[in-house]
Amino acid sequence: MLAPIRVICLKELLDNLRDRRSLTVAFVYPLLGPILLGLLVTAVSAMMSIDRTQQSDITVKVAGGERAPELIAFIADQGARIEAVGGDPQAVVRDGEAKVVLHIPPDYGERMAGEGRARVEVILNAAQLTAVVASGTVTRLVRDFNNRHARDTLRSVGLTLDDLSPLEVETVNVSMREARINDFFLFMVPPFIIFTVFIGGVYLAIDTTSGERERGSLEPLLANPVSRWQVMLGKFAAALIFTLMALFVQLAAFKISFSLAGAGPYSLAGRLEPMALLGLVAVCLPLIMFATAIQIIIATITRSFKEAQTWLGLMPLVPAMPGLAMVFVPVNPELWMMAIPTYGQTLLMGQLVRGDPVSTLNVLVAGGATMAVSALLLWLCARLYARETLLWGA
Amino acid sequence: MIEVEALAKRFKGPGGRVVEAVREVGFTARDGRITGLIGPNGAGKTTTLRILCGLMKPDAGRATIDGLDVVAETRAAQARLGVLPDNRGLYPRLTAREHVRYFGRLHGLKGAELERRIGVLAERLGMDDVLDRRAKGFSKGQTLKVALARALVHEPPNLLLDEPTNGLDIASSRAMRELIRGFRDQGRCVVFCSHIMSEVAALCDHLVVIADGRVVAEGAVDELRARTGLQDLEEVFLSLTGQSLDAPTPPAVAPATAAS
Repeated sequence: MLAPIRVICLKELLDNLRDRRSLTVAFVYPLLGPILLGLLVTAVSAMMSIDRTQQSDITVKVAGGERAPELIAFIADQGARIEAVGGDPQAVVRDGEAKVVLHIPPDYGERMAGEGRARVEVILNAAQLTAVVASGTVTRLVRDFNNRHARDTLRSVGLTLDDLSPLEVETVNVSMREARINDFFLFMVPPFIIFTVFIGGVYLAIDTTSGERERGSLEPLLANPVSRWQVMLGKFAAALIFTLMALFVQLAAFKISFSLAGAGPYSLAGRLEPMALLGLVAVCLPLIMFATAIQIIIATITRSFKEAQTWLGLMPLVPAMPGLAMVFVPVNPELWMMAIPTYGQTLLMGQLVRGDPVSTLNVLVAGGATMAVSALLLWLCARLYARETLLWGA
Repeated sequence: MIEVEALAKRFKGPGGRVVEAVREVGFTARDGRITGLIGPNGAGKTTTLRILCGLMKPDAGRATIDGLDVVAETRAAQARLGVLPDNRGLYPRLTAREHVRYFGRLHGLKGAELERRIGVLAERLGMDDVLDRRAKGFSKGQTLKVALARALVHEPPNLLLDEPTNGLDIASSRAMRELIRGFRDQGRCVVFCSHIMSEVAALCDHLVVIADGRVVAEGAVDELRARTGLQDLEEVFLSLTGQSLDAPTPPAVAPATAAS
């Protein structure tokens, strides 16, 4: 009973391993997520490092610095290099000649002398993330100048800064690990995995169903002494194995990407340990069954290869949505959520990726519910395959 | 032996209209004989063949392959049948050998025996040169040979051949006819569908003429000639299927005017 399923599965695997389109969808698409996240982590790590590291490397471009010699001397004392900028400072930034300019307005001296208070401008193009980070550094230097001034003034009347701030605020982090800004990116891993689960075997599912019909090879195949449900299961198994391979490729790529991306406190190198990876595969297996069954159903009921391709191309977006939303609005996993295929897995994958504890009951409920729905879908697939209209599509 | 009794099959056509593809088809195709199944387009041949292959269930009547009911014992009946359907698509990324091996395995064959049979078929069908080439870009003749080889790999005692010479050149058609005669001489039951009457006349021992979903005549070629009083098989066919014998008159050609 299993022999024909194995023969059909092996044939479909061989056939599709020779197909560039199937291979691209299964083994190149899954790389996009790890590459993108790796680049993001590296970029953020690089920018944050600029902000933190030794300020001797920092050049502050100043317009009208001669009007505030005390401030400029303070900034230079902090280790920053001062570079004077001529002309309209806003135009200099707008034209890209400088990312950030500290502008001392012409009325600076007059107001300082009169009110003892004046305004300086930090001019930046906020469309550039690096400019935003650099402007933070300049702003902090000005704030430090203010603080020194405040301290000196208070000291002259016998007070300290602390006397003005009776409350001290301390943030207590209960995350399992040391909280890092790059943990934010870990939330983006589950939607990428969901996408792979729903796209990995899609080309194979279409090729072996609508494609087989369009090539005219379905009729001779079904004339062999093999039950229709066996033919369906053989194709299902092949699509499932292809998707599983795509998932392995993606997880390996995530592991490599995380070990290379970022540096120092921004590195994700320690993430996705072997146990977390195993957990991800275990959580995804029932979901792959679910996704593959849907793919085969759609490829069976659509009339042509192109129609199937249109529907199945859109399909991964729907299950990936909750995961994408959770990047910005995290959800606390509850048991009932686990019974919803893809949603439960998205939550569990999030916990595994972040290294949070995972409830065994949740894993079992998510896996059980998704497998039950998949079994129902497979039964429906078998019914669809048994119909005479399978030959011409309906 | 293939026996068909009072088959009927209806379909729901466009707009819910019911189409009676086969109304009452019955015939017997004996072993060691080539039985021609002929009829105009839409007569019900393809539906009849699909029922015999186990691809469709009849609404009424029954069909058996060597006594095995195609509905009740589909798999056993299919195991005794080799089919060359009208739809004979190949997998472009598989070699000819892999095609035949695939179907052989689906019939439960494996190992050295399967490889031996592939070798024998390749030699017999003259496809040694394409055996390890991928099917993409195969000519019609090469495609046909592969489709035939995969239908024959389990050495079926019964064969359904739908338009087996369609698209072949003269030499290949001739070789195919010889092959089909060879099947008969081996004692197999061959059901042969074709629109080429000269080929039907040259090959078939027995003819079953289908029109409008019914068998309208059955017998040896000479019997049908005697019954209709016509010699030319094409005319016999048109007469039996109730189609017009009047060919449209070609338009008159005006004599060229000589330029002076």
